[in-house]
Amino acid sequence: MGLAAEKGKVAEILNSTRKEGRRELMELESKRVLAAWGVPVNRTELARDISEAVKFAREVRYPIVLKIASPDIIHKSEAKGVRVGLSSELEIRQSFGDLIDNARAYKPDAKILGVTIQEYLPPAREVIVGALQDPSFGATVMFGLGGVWVEVLDDISFRLAPLSAEDAREMIQEIKGYPVLAGIRGTPPADVGALVDIIQKVGQLAHEFSEIAEMDLNPIFTFDDGKGAMVADARIILVESK
Amino acid sequence: MSNEVKAIFEPKSVVLVGASDGIREGIVSPAFFHSLVHNMHRFEGKTYVVDLSGKLEGAIKNLNQVPKGRDLAVVVLPSKLVMKNWRNLLNLVMKAIVLVAGGFDQQQREELARGVAKRKVCILGPNATAGVINTSKGLCATLERGFMPSRGGIAVISQDSAVGMAILDWARFHGVGVGKFASTGDSVDVTEADLLEFLMHDEETKVICIYLQSVRDGRRFLGLIREAVRKKPVVVMKGGTAQDERDKIFAAYLKQVGAIRVDIVEELLGVADALAKQPPMPGDRVAVVTNADGAATLVADALSRKEFALAKLSDKVTKKITRKYQDINIVEWVDLGIGAKADRYKFVLEQVLSDHGVDGVVVMNELKLSFLEPEDVQAIAEVAEKSKDKPVVSVTVAVGAGVLVREAVKGKNIPVYDSPEKAVRALDALRSYWKTRTRVEKGV
Repeated sequence: MGLAAEKGKVAEILNSTRKEGRRELMELESKRVLAAWGVPVNRTELARDISEAVKFAREVRYPIVLKIASPDIIHKSEAKGVRVGLSSELEIRQSFGDLIDNARAYKPDAKILGVTIQEYLPPAREVIVGALQDPSFGATVMFGLGGVWVEVLDDISFRLAPLSAEDAREMIQEIKGYPVLAGIRGTPPADVGALVDIIQKVGQLAHEFSEIAEMDLNPIFTFDDGKGAMVADARIILVESK
Repeated sequence: MSNEVKAIFEPKSVVLVGASDGIREGIVSPAFFHSLVHNMHRFEGKTYVVDLSGKLEGAIKNLNQVPKGRDLAVVVLPSKLVMKNWRNLLNLVMKAIVLVAGGFDQQQREELARGVAKRKVCILGPNATAGVINTSKGLCATLERGFMPSRGGIAVISQDSAVGMAILDWARFHGVGVGKFASTGDSVDVTEADLLEFLMHDEETKVICIYLQSVRDGRRFLGLIREAVRKKPVVVMKGGTAQDERDKIFAAYLKQVGAIRVDIVEELLGVADALAKQPPMPGDRVAVVTNADGAATLVADALSRKEFALAKLSDKVTKKITRKYQDINIVEWVDLGIGAKADRYKFVLEQVLSDHGVDGVVVMNELKLSFLEPEDVQAIAEVAEKSKDKPVVSVTVAVGAGVLVREAVKGKNIPVYDSPEKAVRALDALRSYWKTRTRVEKGV
C-alpha cells in the first residue's frame, strides 16, 4: 500500500473529477479509487447502452444489480435508480429503460452516463466505514454498523488516521453493537480481520490525500469469518478547491 | 525551544515587573502585584522587583537599573505599558517572559511574536494570569496570595487561568502535592504542547495534567501525548464540550494516544494523585480490606460499576491471616473488625499484596472520628509505599473521617479518597495506564 503506482492512479481519478468541475465522485469513480488502493469492492461496470448492459451482465454473472450512473444524481434510491437481483436479459432490458426514465423524471437536466452493472452480494452483516478531515487534527476514520445503529443510536467510533491494526480492532470492538459482529445466538462471527484491513486502508487513503474531504463506504457487506468483506456502495467528496 | 521553556520553570533569576500604585486595568492592580511579590519570597534564586510607580520601598524604579541577562521576567502590566517597555524587557531578559495581563490586539500580538522570533527568548501568555509555579524551587509567580501547593509529582498545564487557579486551590485544600504549574493563556508563542514536551522529560514530574479549552496544532499535540505516555501518564480535562459536536471524536483521539480523560477538577486531581503515588494496576482483581463490613458493600458496588472483580484470596494467604487473627472474616472482602490497629492492617495488607490473585487493594478506615490513631493509618501508608507492582488506595465512606485519615498520612505516597466512587475511579486510571504501557511495550 502507498506505492507510487497506486497513488498515481488515485490522483488521476481525483484530478479528472476536478477537471469536470465536480467535487463529488460518482459511485463508479469512488469504487475505482478504493480498488486502486486495495480495498475490495464488488465488481462494477458502466454500461452506456442496453447492449453493453447485457454484455456486462453475462460477464458479471446473474443475479446482478443495476444502478443509475449520473454525476448529477447522488441519492440513487431517491431517484428510483436502483434495481437489485435481476436475473435475466429480459429484466435488464426492461430495467435499463425504467432507470433512465426515472432519472429524467427526478432531475430533467441531469447528465446521464448510463447504468452500472454490479455484482450482487448475498445478504451479510452491513457496516459503514467513513473518513473526514478534521480542521485541526486531520484525517479521521469512522466506523459503525449500518442502518439504525448509526442513524438512530449514534453508535459510531472514531480514530485518527493513519491507524494501527490494534487501533482498528479497538474501534470495531468499542461500538455497542459489536456483539452483532462477534456472533450472537449461534451465528458465526463476522470477518472482523477483513474490516480491520479496510479501516486501515481507508485511514491511509484519507491521510495521503488531504483533498479528500469525506469518504463514505456504505454499506460494506461483512461475510462470516474467513470469507472477507466487500464494499457495495461508496461516495467520495473532495475539499472545495482553492 | 526546550531550553527557554526550561527557564519558565527553573529560572536562576526572576524580575517581577509591575506597578504598586495607580494602575488598575483588568487583572492588573496594586493588590495583585503585592501578592506576586509576597508569593515569591520563598524563591531560592535571585528576585528583582521593579515597581514602575516608584512607590514600593526597596524596589527598583526603572527597568534599566536591573542587571541585564536575567532568566525570567514576570510582567504585571496592561498591554499598552508592556508594548511601551517591550524593547527594554527584551534587552533585559535572556530566556523567558511571562505576560500576566490579557487585552492585546492582533497587531500587538504580532509585535510580541516578532520581538522574540529572532532571539532565544520565549513568551508565556499573554493572559497567563495564573502564572508559573515550581514548588521545589520556591518559584510561585502567581497572583492569588499564598497559592503555593505542597510539593509533589503532579505537573499541571492550564490553558485557562481561572480554571488553573481552581485546580491549585483544590490541590492545596486537599493537600495534594503539585510540583509544577503553568497557565498558557493566549499563547502567542509557547503552547501547551511545548510545555508537555518539556514536562515529559522532567525527572520530578510523575504525571502530567492538562486543562484545555481549544486545541492548537492538534496533530503535534496528540503526537506528544503518545510520546509522553511512554514515560508517564497524561490526564486531560477539556472544557467547552457542550458546544462541541466533535467532542466524541476528540475523546477517541485521546483514547488512541493513551491519555486518560476526566471531566471535573476533583476527578483530575484525584486520578493524578493516584498516578503520581502508586504503580499502574496490572488487572481487574481488587482485594478490599476493611474495618467495617457493611461499608465494604458500597466499595464492592462501585468496583462492579467500573468492571472490576473482587479478588478471591488463595487458601494459603487466607490461612496465614486467620491463623494469626482468628476473628478476621474473609468472604467477599477481608473484614479486620472495627477495632483494627496498625499491626493488623500491616500484616493483612502485606499478605494480600503477596497473593497472585490480587491486582490492587482498596483499604478502608471507617468509624474513625472518635478514635483515629495516626499510627494505624501510617502503617497502611508504609505498606502502600513499598508496593511496587500493585496499587493500594485508601478510602473512607465518611467524609469527616477522610479528612483525619488524609491529615495522618500527609506527604506519604498513598492516595486517600472520601468516597468509594473516587477511589475506584483512581484504580480505573491506574488500570488504564497499565494497559497503555503494555501496549507501548508491545509496540502496537
